[in-house]
Amino acid sequence: MFQRSITFDSPIYLLLLLLLPLMWWIGYRSLSGLGRWRRIVALVLRSTVLLILVFALADVQIQRRSDQLTVIYLLDQSLSIPVDQRQSMVDYVNDSIEQHHDAAHKDRYAVIVFGRDAGVEIPLVNVSIPLNPQIETVLDPEYTDLALAIQRAKAMFPFDAAKRIVLITDGNQNQGDARRGARAAAATGVSIDVVPVMLSARSEVAVEKIDVPAGARKGQPFEMRVVLRNDSPEDLGKTVPGKLRIVRKSGQREETIVEQDVDVPPGKRVFTISEEIDDPDFYTYEAHFSPNATADDGMTQNNKASAFTHVRGKGHVLLIENWDKQGEADYLVERLRKEDIAVTVTPSDRLFTSLAELQRYDSIILANVSRSTGTDADNVSSFSDDQISMLERNTREMGCGLIMLGGPDTFGAGGWTNTELEKAMPVNFEIKNAKVTPVGALVLMMHAGEMPRGNYWQKRIAIESIKILGSRDYCGLIQWNGSDQWLWGQSKGGILRTGPNRKMMMSRVDRMSIGDMPAFDPALKMAAQGFLGLKDAAVKHMIIISDGDPTPSTTATINSLKKQGVKVSTVAVGSHGRLGSQEMQRIAAATGGKYYAVKSAKALPRIYQREARRIARPLVYEPKPAVQPRIVSQHEILQGMEGGIPPISGFVLTSVKENPLVEILLRSPKPVDEKNATVLATWTYGAGKAVALTTDAGQRWANSWAQWDNYDKLFSQMVRWSMRPTDDLDNFTIATDVREGKTQVIITALDQDDQFLNDLSIAGTVVTPDMTSIPLRIEQTAPGRYVGQFDSEVAGSYMIVANTGAGRAPIRSGVNVGYSAEYRVNETNMALLRSLAELKAKGGPAGELVELGLDPSQPEGAAVSNPFRRDLEPAVSNQSIWPWLILIGNCLFLADVFVRRVQVNFLWVPPLFAKLRNKVLGRQHEAPVPETMSRLQSRKRELREQIESRRTAARFEGSADRVDDSQAIDLAASTATSTSTKPRPQPPKAQPEESPVEESYTERLLKAKKRVWEDRKDGNKDERNR
Amino acid sequence: MIGCLLQNLNQLLVASIAVGITFSAGCLSRPQQEGTADLIWGQSGITEGRLQKPRALAIDANDELYLVDMTARIQVFDTEGTYLRGWKTPISKNGRPSGLTIDRAGRLLVADTHYYRMLVYTPDGELLEDQTIGGTLGHGPGEFGFVTDVCEDSQGNFYVAEYGDFDRVQKFSPDGEFILQWGSPGADPGQFRRPQNMVIDSQDRIWVVDACNHRLQVFDSSGKLLSIWGEEGSELGKLYYPYDLALDGQGHVYVCEYGNHRVQKFTLEGKPVGSWGTHGKGPGQLHNPWAIARDSLGRIHVLDSNNHRVQRAIF
Repeated sequence: MFQRSITFDSPIYLLLLLLLPLMWWIGYRSLSGLGRWRRIVALVLRSTVLLILVFALADVQIQRRSDQLTVIYLLDQSLSIPVDQRQSMVDYVNDSIEQHHDAAHKDRYAVIVFGRDAGVEIPLVNVSIPLNPQIETVLDPEYTDLALAIQRAKAMFPFDAAKRIVLITDGNQNQGDARRGARAAAATGVSIDVVPVMLSARSEVAVEKIDVPAGARKGQPFEMRVVLRNDSPEDLGKTVPGKLRIVRKSGQREETIVEQDVDVPPGKRVFTISEEIDDPDFYTYEAHFSPNATADDGMTQNNKASAFTHVRGKGHVLLIENWDKQGEADYLVERLRKEDIAVTVTPSDRLFTSLAELQRYDSIILANVSRSTGTDADNVSSFSDDQISMLERNTREMGCGLIMLGGPDTFGAGGWTNTELEKAMPVNFEIKNAKVTPVGALVLMMHAGEMPRGNYWQKRIAIESIKILGSRDYCGLIQWNGSDQWLWGQSKGGILRTGPNRKMMMSRVDRMSIGDMPAFDPALKMAAQGFLGLKDAAVKHMIIISDGDPTPSTTATINSLKKQGVKVSTVAVGSHGRLGSQEMQRIAAATGGKYYAVKSAKALPRIYQREARRIARPLVYEPKPAVQPRIVSQHEILQGMEGGIPPISGFVLTSVKENPLVEILLRSPKPVDEKNATVLATWTYGAGKAVALTTDAGQRWANSWAQWDNYDKLFSQMVRWSMRPTDDLDNFTIATDVREGKTQVIITALDQDDQFLNDLSIAGTVVTPDMTSIPLRIEQTAPGRYVGQFDSEVAGSYMIVANTGAGRAPIRSGVNVGYSAEYRVNETNMALLRSLAELKAKGGPAGELVELGLDPSQPEGAAVSNPFRRDLEPAVSNQSIWPWLILIGNCLFLADVFVRRVQVNFLWVPPLFAKLRNKVLGRQHEAPVPETMSRLQSRKRELREQIESRRTAARFEGSADRVDDSQAIDLAASTATSTSTKPRPQPPKAQPEESPVEESYTERLLKAKKRVWEDRKDGNKDERNR
Repeated sequence: MIGCLLQNLNQLLVASIAVGITFSAGCLSRPQQEGTADLIWGQSGITEGRLQKPRALAIDANDELYLVDMTARIQVFDTEGTYLRGWKTPISKNGRPSGLTIDRAGRLLVADTHYYRMLVYTPDGELLEDQTIGGTLGHGPGEFGFVTDVCEDSQGNFYVAEYGDFDRVQKFSPDGEFILQWGSPGADPGQFRRPQNMVIDSQDRIWVVDACNHRLQVFDSSGKLLSIWGEEGSELGKLYYPYDLALDGQGHVYVCEYGNHRVQKFTLEGKPVGSWGTHGKGPGQLHNPWAIARDSLGRIHVLDSNNHRVQRAIF
C-alpha cells in the first residue's frame, strides 16, 4: 500500500559531495602517522560525517507514496435546486459509493453539503455508510458558494491519499468564484468530477422590481413602475395570467392601491401606475404577483418586490416604552403632540425589524426601556443584538436622533451595559468608582446537558450574562466536570471580578463541557461559600439552569443562601416531567428568586439578560431629600429655563464619556463625584445626535417636572434638537436600480433655480441587511448627475445615505432586494461546470463531466461514473529527517576524534581469555611476572655482570682505571658545575688505544663522588700542613 | 528504508516500555493496571451498535450485556462487544431509563426513571405491560419519584429504589402488590440521598449504593439496616458518588464511582482491596462511569458513560 524512498528538497547542496575526494587527499597525508587501519577508519568516519552534513543541507526526506484515494462529494443544497431533485442527488451519491467504493483499498470518502456555507454531512470514512436522504447539516440555502465548498473539501483531504471532488450542483453560484477555487484545488492535485443537476425547463414568473422615486413630494403625482418577467421556455411560449397587487405601507398602516388581473407574456412586461402621497411619511410599496395556476410558476419566492419612498413633512418621533408598563409615557407623548411633533408609540415587544422601518422617524426616544422585559419564560422579550445595532446605525450613519429617558429600567440598570447603544450615548453606563456604587455578584450554575444542543445554549447564556455585568461586578460559574467545579478562580473562591477577567471568562466558557450533576446540594454549598467570601457585594444573585433531576438540596443549604440575601432564580429546561420542576420551583420560592419553565431554548438569552440585570440595581440613585439639578452649560435644549430646574428624587448613575463632543447640561449636586452625577448630557454621534436624560420624564423621580411650566419646552426642544436635519433649499433626487446583484445609485442635483449643481463632492454610505456599513463611491458622470454602485447580492434592505457637502442635509434612500439570487435562475450553468471538469489536477488528467447529469426527465438517471478510478498520481508525503542526521553526524564526529587521539590495542585480550579459561577449568597458574619487572631484573643482571667484569679488569689493568676516572670527572663537570668552582683537569688529548669498557651512568656518578671526597681530603691535609 | 528503521525503532521503544510496565505490574496484586483494559469497545453514535452516553448495564446468565443509553435504546451485546439486538422504551421525552436488572427468570427489569415506573421486558425486547409496577408520581405506596433501580429476591419480591421526591426503597410482591417500604431523604443511617443502584446477595440481603451520601448500606429483606460503610473522599477506600455495585460471591464487592471515575474492590466489610481506573479518555481511564456488571468468568464490565464505551477489566 505504501512505498518509501529517499528524496532531497534542495539537491543543489549535493554538489558539496565533490569535496569528498579533496578531503581524502588531505586526510590521507595528514593522517599518515596513524597507521594503516586507523587511518582508514578515520577517513571513513569523516567521509560519513561530511556526507551526512551535505544530506542534511540538501534536506533529505523520506518519501512515502500511497495508492489510496479519497473522494469528497459536494452536494449543492441551495434553493435553486428543486426539492424533488435533491433526492436524486442523494441516490446518486449512494449508488456511487455502493458500486465503486472498495473497502479493501482503504479508500476514504466524505460528503459535504453546501449553500452559502458548507458543512460536513459524513466525515471521512473508509466503510460504506449510506447518505441519509434527510440532510442534517443546517445551512443557509439562499445562496450558492461553490468556491467555499471546494475550499472546505480541499482542507479536509488527508495528505496521504490522492484527492478527488465530485461536485453535484446546478452551477448557479452567486457568491465566491468557483473557477478560482477549483484552479487552486487542481494546483494541489485535486481532481474534480462534475455531475450537473439539470433544472427542468418550466414556466417561471417573477416580479423583477418595483421602481418608485426615492424622495416624492407631498401632493405631487409620480409614476411607479412594476416589472414582471416570464421565463417560459421558448418552445412553450405561454402567457401566464395572474393577479398583481400593490400595497403601500407606512408604519402600521397598510393599504392596497392596485389589485388587478394581468397577463404576463414571455419576456418582460412593465406596468406603470400613477401615485400621489398626501401625508408626509416613509412609505414602502410592495408588488406581489400570484399566478392563477400554480403550475405556471416554478418558484413563488420571487413573486414579490418592494421599494421605499419618503415624503418629507414635519418631524416624526418614535417613542418606545416597556410593553409591561404601557401608558407610562402618555403624558410626555401628549405634551409633545401639543408642541406639533408627530409621535408614534410602540411597546418593546413589537419592535422594528429592519433599519428601513426606522427611516420614517427623525428621532427615537427610549422611555424607561430595559433591554429585556417580561415576567416569565413565555413573554420575556428583548432587543436583539441586531435591533440594538440598527438603533446605533440609524443614528451614526443615517443621522436620526436618539434620546434615552431614564427610569429604574434604563442605562446600566436596564441591562444596556456593553451594548452598541452604550456607544451611541454621551455617557458610559458603568461606574468605576467603588465609593459611588456598590457592586453585585452573580453565580451561574449550569446543568442542562440533556436538553438539545445543551452545551451550545449554556455557553450562549453564560456569555450573555458576562457581557451584561459591569467591570466591578463579580461572576462565578459552577458546573459538573467530574466533580462540582468553579469554571474559574478555583483557588480564589470561584467568584471573580468581571472587569479584568472578562476575556478569560469568555474563553473558558467557550471551552467548557458540562457534565451531568448528580446533586444540587454540594454545588449550592460551594456557591454559598463563594458568596461568603465577597465582602463588598451588595446584591447577590444566582441563576440555576437545570433539567431538575439532580438530588434535591437540603433546607440547611437553601437557608444559608437565604441568610446571605442571595436570590436564586431557576430556569427549568426540558425538565424531567413534573417532579423535575418541583425542586426548581422550591429553590426559587425559598430564596425569593424567579422560576422559569422554558419550552424553547430561544427564550434563554432573554431570560439571562433579564436576570443578570438584577445585580445592576445599585446603579439606581435615589437621594433623600430630593436634589435640584444644576445647569452646567447653556444649550438650545435649555433655552428659556433660566429660572432653574425643579428637584428630582432619583436618577441612574452613569460616567461621562471623555470626549470633547460631550456636553453636560444638567448635573445633580449628589453624589460628590461629578463624573457620575450627570442628569442631562448630549453629543453628536456620527451623523446624528444623542441625548441622555438619566432621570425620568415626570413619572417617579421627576414628578415635580410634570407641573413645571417649562416641561413642554424642555422636552420639545430636546426632541427638536436631536432630529435629523432637513433641507428643502436644493433639489436633489436619488434613484436606485438593482440589476444582477448590484445596485446603482443615481443622484440628480439641482439648485433652487433648477440649474445643475456640478463638481460636488458626494460621499455615501450603505448599511447592508447584516448591519455593516460599506462606503459608497459616487462620481459625477454628466452635468448634475452623480452615480455610484455597490454589491447587493444578499436579500434585505439596503439603506443609502449621501452627504452632498457642508451645509446641506444628507439625502437618504433605500432599496429592497426582495429575494435571493437563487430564485433568479432556472437553468443549469453548464459552461461553468464544464470548465471546472476540464481542469487538470496537478500531475493527473482532467476530471469527468457526466454529460447527462441528473435530469428529472430521464427517470433511469445518469450512469454513475466511477470516482474511485485510479488515474491520479499517487499521493506523496515527505518527512524531513535532517535533525536525526545531524545527531548521528555529531556522534560520528566524536568517533572520528576518538580514533585519531586514542590508540586502542587488544593485547589484553589473550591474557584475560587465558585467565577466564583457567578460572573456568579450575587450573593453578603462576601469576606471570609483569613485563616491566622482568625487564628491570634482566637489566640489573646485566649491570651486575658488567661491574663484576670491570672489577676483575681493575685488578690486572691499572690504566683502565685512570681512563675511567678522567671520564667520570668530565661527566661530573658537565652535570655539577655549580657545586664546584675548582678548575677541572683537562681531559687527555690523546685517545687511549683501546676503548675502555663502557660505564653506566650510576658508576660514573659514584666515581665522581669518590673523587670529590678524595680532593677534599687532600685539601684538609694541605690546610693542616699550613 | 530509513523510515522503516525509524518506525521499527519506535515500535521497539513502545514495546520495551510496555514490557517494563508489564513487569512492574507483575509486582502488584491486580492484573489490570492503570492505563490498561482487558477489552475496550463502543463508539459514540446513534446508529445500531453505537452508544450515546449509556447509563445502565445488566448482564444475564448467558453473559449477554444489556445497555440503555441517552437515546432510550436498550441494546444487547455479547461480552466481546458484538451487537446482538436492540429496542426502544415506549416513551422517553421526559427522560431516559437509568437502571437495568435481570431477574431470576431472565427477564429485563427497566427502571424507567422519569416515568416513575418499572418496566419488564423479555430478553428479546417484548414489553410485558401487565408486569409494570408504578407509573404515578407521588409519596404513597406504589407511587414513585425518579426510579433508579429494581431488584428481585429469591422469593420473587421486587425492590424498587427512587429519589427526587422521596428517597426510599419499596418492596412489592411478585404480583406487584406493595408490601413495605423503608428509607427517607437524609444522611442518617437508613436514610438515603439518591439510592442509585441495588444488588441482592444469596442471603436476600439488599446492598444499596447511597450515591449522594457516598456510602453503601445493606438491609435485610424487611428493610432492617444490617451494615453501613463508606465515606466521602477520593483516597483509596473512600467513595465519591458511588453509582453501581457488583458482588463476586467470594466475599468482595465492586463499587463503581461516578465522581471518582474508578471501580473499587472492597471486602464485604468495606475494607479496600484494589482499585481500577482513573479520570480520562485513554484505555483504562473512565469519565463518569455509571454502571458495572460482572460476568460468569469474573470479568468486570464498566460502563464508561461519558466516553460512550464499555471497558472490561480483570481485578
